[in-house]
Amino acid sequence: MITTDDFVALLREDMGLPVTAEDTGLSLDQVPGWDSVHLLSLLTLLERRTGRSLPLADVLEAGSLKDIHALAVAE
Amino acid sequence: MPTTPDTADGTAATVPVATAPAATAPAATAPAEPRSVADLHRAGQLLAQYPKVRALLAPLGGPELLTAGQLLSRLDPDEVRAAHPAVPQVTVAVTGHGTLSQLTAPLTAELARHGLLARIAVSDFDSYVFDLSDARSDLYGAEPDLVLCVLDPMAVFDEVPVPWRPEDVERVAAEKYAIVAGLVARFEAASRGTLVLNTLPLPHRFTAQLVDHRSRARLGALWREFNARLLRLADAHPGLVTIDLDPLLAEGIEAVDTRLSLYAKAHLAPGLLARYAREVGHLARHLTGRTRKTLAVDLDGTLWGGVLGDDGAEGIEVADGYRGAAFTAFQQVVKQLGSQGVLLAAVSKNDIEPVGEVFRDHPGMTLREDDLVRITANWRPKHDNLAELAEALNLGIDSFVFVDDSPYECGLVRHALPDVAVVQVGQEPARHIDALLADGWFDTRELTAEDRSRVAKYRDELVRKDFLDSFDSLDDYLRQLDVRVALAAVAEADVARVAQLTQRTNQFNLTTRRLTPADVRALAADRGGLALAIRSSDRFGDNGLVGAVLGHRAGKALHIDNFLLSCRVFSRGIEQACLAAVLRHARDTGATEVLGSYRPTPKNHKVKDFYPRGGFAQAPDARAEDGTAVFRHDLAGIAAPPDHIHLTASFGESTS
Repeated sequence: MITTDDFVALLREDMGLPVTAEDTGLSLDQVPGWDSVHLLSLLTLLERRTGRSLPLADVLEAGSLKDIHALAVAE
Repeated sequence: MPTTPDTADGTAATVPVATAPAATAPAATAPAEPRSVADLHRAGQLLAQYPKVRALLAPLGGPELLTAGQLLSRLDPDEVRAAHPAVPQVTVAVTGHGTLSQLTAPLTAELARHGLLARIAVSDFDSYVFDLSDARSDLYGAEPDLVLCVLDPMAVFDEVPVPWRPEDVERVAAEKYAIVAGLVARFEAASRGTLVLNTLPLPHRFTAQLVDHRSRARLGALWREFNARLLRLADAHPGLVTIDLDPLLAEGIEAVDTRLSLYAKAHLAPGLLARYAREVGHLARHLTGRTRKTLAVDLDGTLWGGVLGDDGAEGIEVADGYRGAAFTAFQQVVKQLGSQGVLLAAVSKNDIEPVGEVFRDHPGMTLREDDLVRITANWRPKHDNLAELAEALNLGIDSFVFVDDSPYECGLVRHALPDVAVVQVGQEPARHIDALLADGWFDTRELTAEDRSRVAKYRDELVRKDFLDSFDSLDDYLRQLDVRVALAAVAEADVARVAQLTQRTNQFNLTTRRLTPADVRALAADRGGLALAIRSSDRFGDNGLVGAVLGHRAGKALHIDNFLLSCRVFSRGIEQACLAAVLRHARDTGATEVLGSYRPTPKNHKVKDFYPRGGFAQAPDARAEDGTAVFRHDLAGIAAPPDHIHLTASFGESTS
């Protein structure tokens, strides 16, 4: 289980993104430091962390970091 | 056979502590405060402490290295340069067929592992044909040192119709090959950098679509023929390197993640891109003149099993038995490296006599005395022995790779000589080979005849040093040495070696401008260009092609753009004799002045006064931003060359 804190820590410390918990609700193009090229890196990190495969098509269509987090923790 | 466990203190255990002073030295591996790049990032110190990154990354691979790469790739290279001007940078353009954004992090990390700051520009998806064919593209505009054109299987299969037969693949592959070959030619005309291609993996999801084995075999054959042609392209194009992905995949790396390929057009799996980035790191290290030149190996536990001092020559593990065979296999690899110009040395805590006997008389040894430039066996700290060897060979300590199985010895060398690449092998000798070869320390683009005889030349050099010790003065010595120098226009056969000198030479390199073979060839063919090769020999043998003078004429002035001499031969008058000959030649062919420049680097300070000592005066107002100093000789009084040198010159230049 990846909590919101874990998720923000992963974004900050593994991806180097200067984001806060509030920023995760922003539309992706508003997120500080975000670039679409980060999406695949984030996917790889989340899959390694959770040990399971995420639905990539949904991740690519996600509107915010919070949406991606939800996909990573969905049962 | 008695075996002494090769533990951390194994070396100390083999000798009385009293005779092993290093063993009582304080623990040398006290860690510096930050333990990872992530620590530095968390502390907000990544930029300020960037020079620490290299050592932190050196032992890393896999996910940890990737994370470090993510963090490092968020640094602005301009800010890193501003804070640390001495950090060398490499400009890398990434282009190709698929989505390649996932190459940035591993590439940043792999270059940083070698102390190189990566300035990476990734092109848009599938724009390699445009990027490489248009000389005005942004890619060429950035003047990249390295261009990575990453090809993937979909570059072919995207254009294969459905349904398909092997002939369809063959046709598309032939078209792609023609396009790529054309791009390589364009690249060579438009760029001075190095272009990197790769072979294309053949995924099971395509072979398995053909249900008959005959067609499947045909597909396999034609695919490999396509890859073979990409590999052979490099034969004809000195500016091209083709990285063969097959050996990397054979390590067990996933080639393609079908999901990422279909959804994100990322046609090569992230793990493969990371592995590819490691190879590119080795290439970048070579292109920036950081190829290692010397391999120093420990003996007990590294070249053979057991402890010579305890077990005796007949008791060590080599050649016989399972472990003995593994040590022999390792010796064969070391010998193979030595045959290609890597200088081999043994550095061991042992008495010299039994070690010498093993190398001479042990029937199981693969490596023999003749393979090594020096065998050092004594009880002094290994870092002292390494430093002394570097001095005797006149090589920088940063050109050394040191292999040892003792964590203690490795830690001590890392601490005392941080510029030495330390390869710590483990207790399992069968893994020694992979540990030594993992980082391509000695990778180079092309071997020359000089490389194959380098060991003999350096051995001669050590004999010369002993000879020197028997003279009262340097003059006496030089007179007896009978130095002969031939200065001649660079011929086609010299091109590779001259380019290599510009790449490898760091100390006697006045401007450290690295040239590719194509650059050298162009200069030699240029009517206004001057490209001279320096060869030397003496009573101990032929030194081969040891230096170069590169320049150009502009009006009545001759500009010496670079002057290089192998560290094997300097300080014996060769450089002064050649400079005097160039000055006389300039005067005799109508020049009124000769200009020479010195561009300082951390390595070449010993030649900063080369031109003033040759009678040049510093040209006023001629100091460029990078600290380059320009010197001028008015050709009025040319100093006589040293009289112990016999010099012959043929400039191959028509008198103007």
